[in-house]
Amino acid sequence: MTTIKIWKHFPREDLYECYQCARCTGSCPAMQVAPAIGPRGAILKCLNLGHDEVVEDEKIWLCCTCNVCEDRCPQKIPISDLLVALRNSAARRGNIPSRLGVAIELLAKTGRSMIVHQLDEMRAHHGLAPLPPAPVEEVRKILKKTGLEEVVEI
Amino acid sequence: MKYALFLGCAIPIKYPGFEAATRLVCDRLGIELVDLPFSCCPPPTSMKLVHYDSWLALAARNLCLAEEAGLDLLTLCSGCVNTLKEANLILKQSEAKKRKVNKILEEHHHHFKGTIEVTHILDVLYQDTVVDKMIKEQVREVPLRVGCHYGCHYFRPPKVMYPEELSAAESYVPVKMDHLLSIIGVEPTEFSRKFLCCGSPLGANADQDAGYAITKQKLAYIHERNIQAISVICPSCFEQFDMGQIVLARKNKEKEKIPTFYLTQLVGLALGLTSKEVGLDVHRVKSKKLLESVGIA
Ligand code: SF4
Ligand code: SF4
Repeated sequence: MTTIKIWKHFPREDLYECYQCARCTGSCPAMQVAPAIGPRGAILKCLNLGHDEVVEDEKIWLCCTCNVCEDRCPQKIPISDLLVALRNSAARRGNIPSRLGVAIELLAKTGRSMIVHQLDEMRAHHGLAPLPPAPVEEVRKILKKTGLEEVVEI
Repeated sequence: MKYALFLGCAIPIKYPGFEAATRLVCDRLGIELVDLPFSCCPPPTSMKLVHYDSWLALAARNLCLAEEAGLDLLTLCSGCVNTLKEANLILKQSEAKKRKVNKILEEHHHHFKGTIEVTHILDVLYQDTVVDKMIKEQVREVPLRVGCHYGCHYFRPPKVMYPEELSAAESYVPVKMDHLLSIIGVEPTEFSRKFLCCGSPLGANADQDAGYAITKQKLAYIHERNIQAISVICPSCFEQFDMGQIVLARKNKEKEKIPTFYLTQLVGLALGLTSKEVGLDVHRVKSKKLLESVGIA
């Protein structure tokens, strides 16, 4: 598996702008209900231990992607970009929650991220026509070309 | 007024009632909707986290379809609007990213130009001309104490979603749903953590119980304000409150449940549509009694 260079996606110098005030973490919903790393912790770990340590930790996925941390940061650090870059890198190393892996496979195979039984009947109940099929082949070709297979088999 | 309707996945597949309500409401308000062969947006909470380049290219394809039809893109889901607005902005700003994406889309005869805007049903309904029409078409009030839940991805990060609305602190807090619903007789009611996460992405990706723990906290604040109903603009938030209350009740023996409505369902009721027509009959937490108590069948 290839790894992405996360500093291409997030300006590394921005890490030093963090003064560890924990305003982000204080607002983080994931921190309140799960053993998450949290935004302040993620930044500190990147600085002290290097991002390799962080992307190998499963806890990196304990996040709502709510972007509240970035909103509250007095230093305006683009924390959401950092969290996206870290998890992209994690996924390439095989650190990806199984539910999420399954969801991505479904998307690549059907062009949609959801599936239900008796869809036509359900839609008819609400007076709606059947949903036209998604452009599966085109979607799959695009995803192959962008390199999604670095992360999941499609 | 005409838009390309971006249904996304959750609404047409899991909650077609929202689609039905939206189509009926838009028809009444003179908003024309055009269907195009879109794919999944794809979500900021799944594909973007796993593979950024795939996320951007697939979003670009969806944007291209609307561009080719010469229409702005109307979304019904916070995830869809987040992805498509951000991708549109990124591709308009970065020549390099645009070139890269166009090279991938070339073989499918798409070429991102940057000629359209992406919007959400809440912003479309909030336009002056639409509000005027809504007031004219309104046949009844919906006098309920409603907690408006905006979700996160509809407006965060604000520098991407609402750059022109930023405060001095470079932040932004949405108000449109509260304002719009007050027009149809709703009493919008504040509650703690109104602008924080519903819990859905944490549950979907990593830890269902933790996701519902967030929902539970939020519901406690909603109960505290004697709110009678929740209004949402995102199918994931909806599921978290509607299904979530069933799941949480099993664990906590909580009896009081608060019905959740998708925005266009409430607007539809005010325009005289029946609860069946706007799809309320399939919600897990039933609203029949509550609506009857204010004279709505
Ligand atoms: S709010 Fe900003 S400056 Fe404060 S700890 Fe978090 S990232 Fe660092
Ligand atoms: S985006 Fe993730 S890390 Fe940031 S506040 Fe939300 S849950 Fe916490």
